[in-house]
Amino acid sequence: MPQNEFVVQMVGITKVYPNGIAANRDVDFNVRGGEIHALMGENGAGKSTLMKMLFGLEQPTEGKIIVNGETVRLTSPTVAISKGIGMVHQHFMLVPSLTVAENIVLGMAPTKGMFIDYKKAVEITEEYSKRYNLLVEPDKRVMDIPVGMKQKVEILKALVRGAKILILDEPTAVLTTQETEELFRELIHLKEQGYTIIFISHKLNEIKQITDRITIMRAGKSMGVYNTAEISKEEISRLMVGRDVVLAVQKDKAEPKETVLQVRGLTYTNEWNKKMLDGVSFSVRQGEILGVAGVEGNGQGELVEMLFNLNRPDAGSATVNGQEIIGMPQDKLRALGVSLIPEDRMTYGIAGAATIEENLISDRIDQKRFNKGPLFNMKAIHAESEQLIKDFAVLCKSHQQKVQMLSGGNIQKVVVAREFSSNPKLIIADQPTRGIDVGATEFIRNKLVELSRAGAAVLLVSADLNEVMELSDSLIVMCGGKIAAYFEDTSTLTDAVMGEYMLGLKSQSDEEIRRVCHEG
Amino acid sequence: MKDRRLMLFEVARGTAAILLALLVATIFIFLCSDEPMTALRYLLIGPIIKDSGGFNTMSFYTILAAMIPTIFTGLATCVMFSAGQFNLASEGGAMAGGFVAALCGIYIQMNTGLHAVVCVVIAAIVCGLIMLIPALLKVKLGASEMVTSLMLNYIIMYIVLHFLNYNFADRSKGSTQTYPFAETAQIPALVPGGSKLSWGFVVALVFVVIIALFMYRTRWGYAIRMIGINKSFASYSGMKVGGVIVLSQVIGGLLSGLGGSIEVLGRYTTFLWKELPGYGWTGITIAILAKNNPIFVPFAAFFIAYLNKGCSLMATYSDVPAEMIDIIQAAIFLFFAAEQFLARYRQKIVVRNTQADLAKLETVKGGETQ
Amino acid sequence: MSQLWEMIFQSEFLFSVIRITAPILFAALGAAIAERAGLTNMGLEGMMMISALFGTLTSYWTQSWIIGVLCALLVGLVLSLMVGFFALKLKTDIILAGIAVNMLGSGGTIFLLYMFTGMRGNTGALVSENILIPTVHIPLIQDIPVLGDILSGHSVLTYLAFLFVLLMWVLLYKTPVGLSIRAVGENEHAAESVGIKVRRIQYTALAISGSLAGLGGAFMSMYYSQGWNSGMVAGRGFIALAAQAMGQGEPVGTMLSSLLFGLAQALRTKVSALQGASSYLVSVIPYVATVLGLVIYAAATIRRVKKARRTKHVAAPVEEKE
Repeated sequence: MPQNEFVVQMVGITKVYPNGIAANRDVDFNVRGGEIHALMGENGAGKSTLMKMLFGLEQPTEGKIIVNGETVRLTSPTVAISKGIGMVHQHFMLVPSLTVAENIVLGMAPTKGMFIDYKKAVEITEEYSKRYNLLVEPDKRVMDIPVGMKQKVEILKALVRGAKILILDEPTAVLTTQETEELFRELIHLKEQGYTIIFISHKLNEIKQITDRITIMRAGKSMGVYNTAEISKEEISRLMVGRDVVLAVQKDKAEPKETVLQVRGLTYTNEWNKKMLDGVSFSVRQGEILGVAGVEGNGQGELVEMLFNLNRPDAGSATVNGQEIIGMPQDKLRALGVSLIPEDRMTYGIAGAATIEENLISDRIDQKRFNKGPLFNMKAIHAESEQLIKDFAVLCKSHQQKVQMLSGGNIQKVVVAREFSSNPKLIIADQPTRGIDVGATEFIRNKLVELSRAGAAVLLVSADLNEVMELSDSLIVMCGGKIAAYFEDTSTLTDAVMGEYMLGLKSQSDEEIRRVCHEG
Repeated sequence: MKDRRLMLFEVARGTAAILLALLVATIFIFLCSDEPMTALRYLLIGPIIKDSGGFNTMSFYTILAAMIPTIFTGLATCVMFSAGQFNLASEGGAMAGGFVAALCGIYIQMNTGLHAVVCVVIAAIVCGLIMLIPALLKVKLGASEMVTSLMLNYIIMYIVLHFLNYNFADRSKGSTQTYPFAETAQIPALVPGGSKLSWGFVVALVFVVIIALFMYRTRWGYAIRMIGINKSFASYSGMKVGGVIVLSQVIGGLLSGLGGSIEVLGRYTTFLWKELPGYGWTGITIAILAKNNPIFVPFAAFFIAYLNKGCSLMATYSDVPAEMIDIIQAAIFLFFAAEQFLARYRQKIVVRNTQADLAKLETVKGGETQ
Repeated sequence: MSQLWEMIFQSEFLFSVIRITAPILFAALGAAIAERAGLTNMGLEGMMMISALFGTLTSYWTQSWIIGVLCALLVGLVLSLMVGFFALKLKTDIILAGIAVNMLGSGGTIFLLYMFTGMRGNTGALVSENILIPTVHIPLIQDIPVLGDILSGHSVLTYLAFLFVLLMWVLLYKTPVGLSIRAVGENEHAAESVGIKVRRIQYTALAISGSLAGLGGAFMSMYYSQGWNSGMVAGRGFIALAAQAMGQGEPVGTMLSSLLFGLAQALRTKVSALQGASSYLVSVIPYVATVLGLVIYAAATIRRVKKARRTKHVAAPVEEKE
């Protein structure tokens, strides 16, 4: 195959979602046959959207897709598969109780008469497994095999269906180091046999190790295509991590007082044996915003889960004003003054079919002022919800409207109104402005600053660099379940420096990091 | 205002479901009857209009009387379904309640007035406790409350029949029944005559108000509803999810026990049920028609009782069997519970509303920037 | 007590266990196949009732038991497709759709019977020997002492019920359709992503479920109680749901728990014949056994999950179904 021939050309792709978010803007993306092509970018940069369009899960608003020289309309995964495109999703699409072989032939099982020719299925599995050096155990049930093998099953599924172009969505996110190296050997083997691989990742070392070319995306746009050999890690990090618009948030200098949240040695290994938190220790003081930056999936989500008792750590402690909060039920946590803006607002943040009012009072229904004997004091409740709707500028028809009828930004305002108005001592804000409109974003950010200045301790977890750098007084960077760096003052920080710590190119000494514990 | 158009739509949809069901019924009547018009007349207006044309007060009272147990089981189902609990044991609850109340009415001696109340309260408490079984199995072990409650219905039935036959039967009677209750335990009639409309009806209406207040005006009812909508949200907000799930089923038990006991003490003089009374299943229909809102329960119960009466009249005075009611009920039930029934029209309204909202928003924004 | 033991070890008793198990087994297999596709067929009770009625009626009209059985099967199938239409297309909760079918089964049948024949409550008058499902004496086996008395001489459908355990197992584990059913029931998205038509598979599973309930109904009216009557099915559809739950949707497990019910019910008949025993308390046994079975299973599951969490077992977590 001539080197200059592209197997995939995506030309001038623009994707606007029905909710108005433009995930891709005029993106060009070209992949040569037989190369491993990295698609890099921060969360929300538009990589996944672009790949979903290539796999037929989404349709582009504008632009065209050319596969092997032919302009195609990829209306469904089935069409994409027929064009030789296969995708390995980050969350595996496997049926746990079926065997590896059954999963691989699912929907196209070989038959002998009326029956499944299971032997043939195993043969097919073994044949492909051998040919591509992807070792799996065909007879084991998927629920009993390690995650690395599950991934191989997914890759085999695509290959068996005739894929020549493989999209791997953050394949190493769930793998251990050994498994990752094994995967790389396999991918190189595939490449040698003429397959084309599109590899989505944020991990610089991996990218440098196995890819030929890199397309970097930022904020829905392509930042260009580079030959991997010719671009330095620092350059990649600079292109990937950067801020476009700087929303000015008015912020006085923080005057931190006593420690509110003290986290020591938090450690957690998830059910796939991956260490998600590795001895994390830090403190948050009254009146300050401590930011937690990092590429998603480096332990931030788990950290928040542990602090709000949505999961249990293997070791470590966390205290709020001296009281241990690991394993504390949520009502006690709230009584202590801990608030959480959850990352997944539709699962935890709201009850969609309930009214705005009912969503606003969910944490305070036991308070005396809202009850008169056994009954609710409806007047007080109406007053409270009206006040909150006004204070937090929730755009709605009335407090009796169902929350699910609101826009994303307004739903988040309902969550924030509840969490910020309970006089919290500690606010944990996990991705507080993800996927919402600019107006609501600005509003929520200003509120966070306001509350911290009024004396609350704020732990801000955000994958949005812009947000975490603008809002935080000081900041930690998480990478691989550990704190990679602590910056006491964010005002002098540059994107480039952040990028290097986020992507694991650098990390501070233990002494430097330990300063975040504020111990003498 | 608050989505008025959508509310109107919901009403229209319910009406359409009912009309559709009646249409099905009419077709069946025309298929099987030699005198379809007579049959239809008795079905539709017979329950309240006399043959001679006037309002049939007595028949109207019978309809109200028939609502008593089903209001309670309807309320019980509302509470349990609101919490997302598919507990189907209000059937057994009603039977157990009736039996316990009957025993208390026979073997406890007390003053008029107090006696009936004590019987009913004991019956309710017993049923509330019985419901701890499916509730705790669900919360502690994750066992499906649907299956355990279905089994519970039969367990209750056979245990009641055992005691009825072996311990408490009045051998002097031809059929299996208990000795008569003390007169003090009987719930007095609300109106004279044989309509069986007892004070239990008033109690039922009082409970409609109590349960409506409980569900929409107390923190426990609130927690029940929130858990039914989104369990993760409820526990994140600090509610005791397991406890509230148990509470919802215990209340369901209390209510179905009340229904059964009041029915038995208000309608009969001895306990003589030999099988499950069917009020539990009717209660489910009622809860579906009422959209799990206690306030609508009496209306739904009236509707079902009216249809029931209509069907039995139809069976008496024409050649169509009374069991027609089950066909009508099933049809209403199916269309009422169908989320997507006429959903296309609902979607149109939603889209139109959203567009209107967006347009309004645009003008507001435009105003701000100028 | 010794009297009871004597009875239990008579071949006649074990014969009756098999006879009583058959209709439950049909329905339980029906519950299982639906459940494997992720659907709860709450309407088995009603499907059995209605198909039982049509079974006897058709056999009377055509004077052919085979056509009667086929008609019962067809009626069960149509009803299950109706449940499918409401649940899958109109988004009625499937449990509620099933309850509606049960309503049709309890009263609608009496109505239909009257509509077709003018009879009320039962079809006793229509039944004659030639339209009942015939019994079969199996050559060779019937000559084996004891075993022959237990296994031979059952109705055609009884054997069919147990044959269906095997067929269901083959269907689920050996055919492409079965593979798709299991995939759809366990992970709809995974099935969809490889081009399986999820809706079609769900309809298929429901259709099988309804057909089995239809056969169960035919067994009841055309063999077991020799004619249709309104109290005939008596909760067997619900018991089937429980048997399925106890058997975890496995054909063999479902059969074993169905046999447990058959045993308990056969015991009930025997015990009630004994002096001084309460047939009612004995009747409770199958239901209590189900609840206990569910409890034991649930407790074991919880222990397993906890252990897996503790040892950080290298396996996917058990998805908790809501």
